[in-house]
Amino acid sequence: MTSQRPRSLAWIVAVAVAALAAAPYLLPSYQLRLVTEGIIFSLYAVSYNLLLGHAGLLSFGHAMFFGVGAFATAIFLNQIPGISVLAAMGLATGASLLVGLLVGSLLLRVKGTPFALLTLAFNSLFFAIGVKWHTLTGGDDGLNVIPPKLHLGLGVLDPRNGPDIYYLTLVVLGAALLFCWRFTATAMGHSVLLLRENEERMRFLGYNTSITRLILFVFTGALAGLAGSFYTLQNAFVSLDAVSIDMTTKVLLMTFLGGTGSFLGPVLGAFFYTYVQDYLSNLTDNWPLIMGALFIVMVLFAPGGLSGLGQGVVNRLKRAKTAARP
Amino acid sequence: MAILRVSELTKDFSGLRVLTGVDFEVGPQEKLAIIGPNGAGKTTLFNIVSGKFPPTSGQVRFKDEVINSLPPHLRARRGMARSFQITNLFQKLSVLENVLSGVRSRLGLRHHMLRQPLRDRELVAACDAILEKVGLSDLRETPVQELAYGQQRALELGVTLALEPELILLDEPTAGMSRQETEDATAMIKRVTGHIACVIIEHDMNVVFSLADRIAVLHYGVILACGAPEDIRRDQRVKDAYLGEEES
Repeated sequence: MTSQRPRSLAWIVAVAVAALAAAPYLLPSYQLRLVTEGIIFSLYAVSYNLLLGHAGLLSFGHAMFFGVGAFATAIFLNQIPGISVLAAMGLATGASLLVGLLVGSLLLRVKGTPFALLTLAFNSLFFAIGVKWHTLTGGDDGLNVIPPKLHLGLGVLDPRNGPDIYYLTLVVLGAALLFCWRFTATAMGHSVLLLRENEERMRFLGYNTSITRLILFVFTGALAGLAGSFYTLQNAFVSLDAVSIDMTTKVLLMTFLGGTGSFLGPVLGAFFYTYVQDYLSNLTDNWPLIMGALFIVMVLFAPGGLSGLGQGVVNRLKRAKTAARP
Repeated sequence: MAILRVSELTKDFSGLRVLTGVDFEVGPQEKLAIIGPNGAGKTTLFNIVSGKFPPTSGQVRFKDEVINSLPPHLRARRGMARSFQITNLFQKLSVLENVLSGVRSRLGLRHHMLRQPLRDRELVAACDAILEKVGLSDLRETPVQELAYGQQRALELGVTLALEPELILLDEPTAGMSRQETEDATAMIKRVTGHIACVIIEHDMNVVFSLADRIAVLHYGVILACGAPEDIRRDQRVKDAYLGEEES
């Protein structure tokens, strides 16, 4: 049993990697766009769940990191002549990291509802800056970007070309997602769980919990910023939508729909949300209404989200299997 | 030379003077029990020594350093650890992860973003050694919330020991236990704390007399008497103030 398990897991991983690598050859370009977007939102939701699911911090301000990453990418690409795409994205991620440091250090001592409300206030502040600082952000018009081609040693990637941006997203954000997955087993990952369970005891065990919180804030902020950066790149455009409360609600919906209890939950939620939104918005302009109803139904009847439902099915199958044995 | 020295300690809570000048010291390897009736200020004294809040005046010296306003995490790193009266653990995490949190902290592996502590054999071995000591080896993967009360108390001690402290503050280690559990717990405390200096708050006189090298009696914010268990047992003031009440 134990030796079979890693083998079947290895098979699943191998098939998944092959499918992801072959996707541009199998999917029409519109579908490929959706997958790319799904990966981008996966990182956004996973970074959010490190706060919500792992540290138990309910934040209503995750879009400020996503938005800063998105806008900074557009601004760096437009304002710095000759800058490479990767450098712009690196700087943009750095910008959202700094925002994480700034906001995080102001929120060290608050928890629960005050924490949630203050993150909401900070998000609104960043949105207001976006609206008012017209010369930098384009205000309500947003910013168009023409990302330059990316010269790598082996060839040239054109971010305006669907398969190219897909592969770039898959490799960079895939690596970031793997890092997050591994992160949950690291010393810092364990400390984040301690933070959720009992911050007081942590302090009496020698942990400076302010440092733990700050590192977590900076880390998740940078990840959300990186996701935002890819969002700009994929759309060749960024609007205030990226830093809006809607974007915060979106990550909340994705994470809850997918389930906060497991690492893959938010990934599932991000893809689910992306596809359902795409499907519904083709049917009706009132798609947020249906999405909202879906959210309510999920929270009421399946608080574990999609991953919780999946786990329930797996457990039931296992039980049936053991029951069937003589 | 004393490892912990408390002098002229006072504490006011919005005008109410809970401690009115407390003096005592704990030698290295010494076990000092602090007893006293409810409301005598034992918990307040404990919270000041462990760093939960600062004193109004007076001094707390640990290893010859004044630590009046040192935050708890820095006290822990200097070798002072405390257990809690109401079990204060990481409820949803496993027994192993609870002990690991202390061992990691002692080794400075608090915020490393690459190293995976559960893959570190030495680290896990150190945890297992502690679990062995407190008799929880068979339950290492069990979440704390599924443990029996006595087992949680044992883990509470294990997590405290994981810091390898030079001074342990034990806050009513046998509170809420049956007679048998109390006897077992007392024997375990005696065994695992060995020569580590301890300050113990405890109501159960059997526990106090079997653990303590010295006893301090706290009465309305001052130390009424302090000395060897036999002397305290005979002290007329103590009998009047405290021990007598219990026997009557």
